[in-house]
Amino acid sequence: MARMKFLCDIERCIDCKGCVIACKEGNGVPVGINRRRVITINQGKPGERSISIACMHCSDAPCIAVCPVSALYQRDDGIVLVNKDVCIGCGYCFIACPFGVPQFPKGDTFGKRGVMDKCTFCAGGPAPNFSEKERRLYGQNRIAEGKVPLCAAMCSTKALLAGDGDKIARIFQERVARRGTGAKAPGWSTAYK
Amino acid sequence: MAGVANTWGYGAMTNSMNDIRHSKLVFMLGSNAAEAHPVAMQHILYAKEVNNAPLIVVDPRFTKLAAKATDYVRIRPGTDTAFVMGLVNEIVTNGWHDKDFIRKRVAGFPEMCEIAKHYTPEVVEDITGIPASEVKRIAKLLATHRPGTVVWCMGATQHSIGSSNTRALCILQLVLGNMGVSGGGTNIFRGHDNVQGATDMCVLSHSLPAYYGIKDGSWKHWCRVWDVDYEWMKSRFHSKEYMNKKGFTLARWYQGVIQEDKISQYTPIKAVVFWGCASNSQSQYHKLKKALDKLDLVVIIDPFPTMTAAACEKDNVYLLPSSSQYETEGSVTSSSRQIQWRFKVVDPVHDSRDDYWIMGQMVKRFGFHDKFYKNIKKVPDDITRELCKGSLTIGYNGALPERIKKHTLHWETFDVDSLQAKGGPCDGEYYGLPWPCWTETHPGTPILYDISKPVAKGGLPFRARFGTEHTYWNGRKENLLAAPGVYNPGSQVKGGYPEFKDIVPGTNWKTDLSQKTIKVAISRGMAPFGNARARCVCWNFPDQVPVHREPLHSPRPDLIAKYPTYPDKKEQYRVYTRFKSEQKPELVKNFPYVLITGRMVEHMGGGAETRSNKYLAELAPKMYAEISTRLANNLGIRDGDMMWIESPEQGKVKVMARVTDRVDDKTIFMPFHFGGMFMGQDLSGNYPKGHEPYCIGEPANICTNYGYDIVTQIQGTKEGLCQVKKA
Amino acid sequence: MKTSRWMEVVNLCLLFCFLGGGLAYGAEMLLRGFGAISTVQAFKEFGVVVSPHWQAYAEDFISFVNGVGRLYLPVIVGVPLVFLIHFVAVGPKGFEHKGRRISFYGLFTRFLHWMCAIFFSLVVVSGIMVLFAKALGGGSLVLSARGVHLFCAYGFMVFAAPLFLIWLKDMFPAPYDIKWLLCGGGYLSKKKVEVPAGKFNLGQKMWFWLAFVGGAVMFYTGYVVSGLSLPQAQIAGYIKIHLILGLFLVALFITHLYMSLFAVKGSLKSMISGYKWEEEVRVLHSRMLK
Repeated sequence: MARMKFLCDIERCIDCKGCVIACKEGNGVPVGINRRRVITINQGKPGERSISIACMHCSDAPCIAVCPVSALYQRDDGIVLVNKDVCIGCGYCFIACPFGVPQFPKGDTFGKRGVMDKCTFCAGGPAPNFSEKERRLYGQNRIAEGKVPLCAAMCSTKALLAGDGDKIARIFQERVARRGTGAKAPGWSTAYK
Repeated sequence: MAGVANTWGYGAMTNSMNDIRHSKLVFMLGSNAAEAHPVAMQHILYAKEVNNAPLIVVDPRFTKLAAKATDYVRIRPGTDTAFVMGLVNEIVTNGWHDKDFIRKRVAGFPEMCEIAKHYTPEVVEDITGIPASEVKRIAKLLATHRPGTVVWCMGATQHSIGSSNTRALCILQLVLGNMGVSGGGTNIFRGHDNVQGATDMCVLSHSLPAYYGIKDGSWKHWCRVWDVDYEWMKSRFHSKEYMNKKGFTLARWYQGVIQEDKISQYTPIKAVVFWGCASNSQSQYHKLKKALDKLDLVVIIDPFPTMTAAACEKDNVYLLPSSSQYETEGSVTSSSRQIQWRFKVVDPVHDSRDDYWIMGQMVKRFGFHDKFYKNIKKVPDDITRELCKGSLTIGYNGALPERIKKHTLHWETFDVDSLQAKGGPCDGEYYGLPWPCWTETHPGTPILYDISKPVAKGGLPFRARFGTEHTYWNGRKENLLAAPGVYNPGSQVKGGYPEFKDIVPGTNWKTDLSQKTIKVAISRGMAPFGNARARCVCWNFPDQVPVHREPLHSPRPDLIAKYPTYPDKKEQYRVYTRFKSEQKPELVKNFPYVLITGRMVEHMGGGAETRSNKYLAELAPKMYAEISTRLANNLGIRDGDMMWIESPEQGKVKVMARVTDRVDDKTIFMPFHFGGMFMGQDLSGNYPKGHEPYCIGEPANICTNYGYDIVTQIQGTKEGLCQVKKA
Repeated sequence: MKTSRWMEVVNLCLLFCFLGGGLAYGAEMLLRGFGAISTVQAFKEFGVVVSPHWQAYAEDFISFVNGVGRLYLPVIVGVPLVFLIHFVAVGPKGFEHKGRRISFYGLFTRFLHWMCAIFFSLVVVSGIMVLFAKALGGGSLVLSARGVHLFCAYGFMVFAAPLFLIWLKDMFPAPYDIKWLLCGGGYLSKKKVEVPAGKFNLGQKMWFWLAFVGGAVMFYTGYVVSGLSLPQAQIAGYIKIHLILGLFLVALFITHLYMSLFAVKGSLKSMISGYKWEEEVRVLHSRMLK
């Protein structure tokens, strides 16, 4: 089975934040929650580079390892999802995640955190496919529709690649070969073993 | 655009975004495509990666685009002409120019060189601040990487010598022989998805639709197209004089109200309609606001209440909610002259109506609905059909609504590289029928002035627009038609030829509504507009060859003496425009920093729409000004502090400091998308209740200086001076 | 927005830790050419800018969280078991209700104590619910338990502060406390031998310090963890303190319950009425009468 992965090509990423907006609009993510974000280094100086980061859907995901209620789980295609009916919002996954992915909306009582929200690879969640509940809690289920995640689909420079790990690695390798630099995909050695 | 049109015929992007994939070099001046045109970046980065193309970015600010550049050149604002002419001089001096191309297809080359000679690398260094060695290096890069493309945007045009800047860039491409080839060309990125379309359809005060100059002939042409009586049309004007008189421009219309500069119109302006226009993107905004408060009537037609609505403090405003692009349909013309059909997704929500409805109702109430709707039964298809019929100059006549829709519906059959359909219902045609699309079977012209293709297959020579012969100031006479041997394959005339006329007696290719002239030309393998040379010398411009002139408000008093600006223009688009009398060398003492404005990726134009989007407002919630680390430290300003930026015209804004090395120590940068504040005062109460944008801020244009282009009167917002004080 | 600033500064890709910096550096050297170094260099910098210590704390944190959870069950079951054995083997201490009634706790003190008791108990119970969330099925039940946990923590702190000040002067360790410790507080036999203690014995003192100072530490660490507004490595540290200290607090909380409810008869009543009978005071708080 295909192993789903993200890859952001930092030579291509121009910090346009199209991925962030696509994700938020498409999935109805509340203001303040960032399933995806763009980080820039050396801003305004030579060597400025940006990278778009969301959940990498790691193999041996640390978040799954620390989740005290097993709300986090991994599908066969590698997509890591959270069951919002089970999550207790403890925040351990945020500590364990190497990419700072888990997001917690402010809950109703005393500003306590609500349940965790994170990138779903646009694969919805444990609720039935295309159900109202799925849309409300997790957003779109584009994977079930046979589409790539919104962020990658919207990427203006095709910096952000999403899909079968082997295929996107091949695309990236081709680019690397052409420009002769940067053989390492950012985050891959941490996320995928 | 005027500069480009006066060089070779059409004032539009010559190639396309996709064609940049074939460039061996990308030279970008005054463009921040990474923020303003993110989608174009995929082609630019493709050229950089696949062709190993140097990506040269010339900008006063280290933009997000500069971050992707292979060669970044920091230039002093307002000195682009000096730099580009310096490159031209360096190329010619070293003999790197394309001699064959120049001999056959370019006019006025020796005269141009005579003037370019002045711009030696050392002189350029003094004017622009770019080291002489860097000028030489960039010139060499340009010479060794052909074809290269030149991209520019508002950073090049919004200057008092904006038209010279564009001319200089055109000359650079001519000298390098990069015109009419894939991977070359001047690719001028337009600001919105439909700016080219809007310009084509005449959101201009000095021409009729499709660039028919305001003359009797043009009026008669369009009256025939609309089926309107010419005499009736004439009777609608104050007098015959005003029928053919250039109007006010967007940049200075408010002078028609407040009359600080003398106007040449029989009456001041009393009413203004803003239709999808953000007034806060115009310079001298505090003066514009004065005009808003003096007008009898302000009508704002927009999906969102704009800054204009908040700025009007007199009870003279009407807000008409128009629908968004998803709630209506019609054709849009992109930067690269490609036309696409935009289909309707949903019906207009709430009380909004689409623009066609609003326009129709307005015309009805004015009482001449019957006159203008004779050909229009189905909106908007028949509107498109009518404008195609009349827009012969730019060859819209082949782009019928059915064809446009077919392209949009089958876009997957087009090749991303060549834009040509491979198979499918549009086989062989270019996506969006890039104009000129001469006939109903013409595939469109993907690259302008490309003589390697037959005209019927999308080829074209340079346009014969400026006569057939010219005598220069030095007495040299030159034939302006292309040299023998320069022709499109299949052309019956194997060399230059003038434009087609009198095929149907009394008409030319632009006014023959039967389109017979165009068809005859195409069948003979020839371009309807002739085959001429591109001009290095543009004798109808104040500067026939671009020369450097200091910005009106210059930080270099010594250079003002050496490169003074133009004399004042008594009547420019109905208003007295100061040049020489405004250029004061002592100004820099009190206003020591250069102010430039620009775009940010999160917001768009005046920001009415984007600042009303919660996600975009979240990403970029605050108005700010970029200030360099050194300057901030010298002034005791920390990142996030508030500061006052003051202009020599008593405009001032209170904005947050963003300390960054994007700008140099003498430059302040502000994005111009914000509105809802005015010189420290919060105007959010002026919006209709519940319609305030999610984020408000000071319009940067309160601080942009006086200064307008000599030809087009575009505002000079990318040059000017300011003072900075900690708030 | 403070949190999201942190989120921004989060870890990416630490290639060099995993696959060996040398290898990548070699590749970088090989690939130096047109724009070549930039990417490799940028990867390095992303790793440095965004919290670079993930490798250092994450693995440790994962095993800690999974380990410490297992310690709670033995404590919750084990400590009461020990007391059950004590109850059966030694039995509770009872004192005759005669002689003087000695005023022990003022009205305000008692009010504060009971408020603290309510909130503290709720904090402990809800905390245990969070720890055993999986058994409870997670979801909204545990989420509301977290709400209670947070609310009651604030409640406890409000009433604990004045109570702390009231009792502080009697809570400093005294030399005879060692003797108290040596005789096991007199709880190991049924004999009513006078044990050396002032108003509060060493056991109570220990509980005082742990409940109040430990409680404050728990409050602070919990506050930080709930905000998630520090670097992950530091929050991980706070979570560790919270969980380990929590273990001791739960153990002593159970002890306190046993002592007051079962081990010393009348002790509950004395906290309600504010008085202790003379005999009890003579035996358990002998120094007070001297």
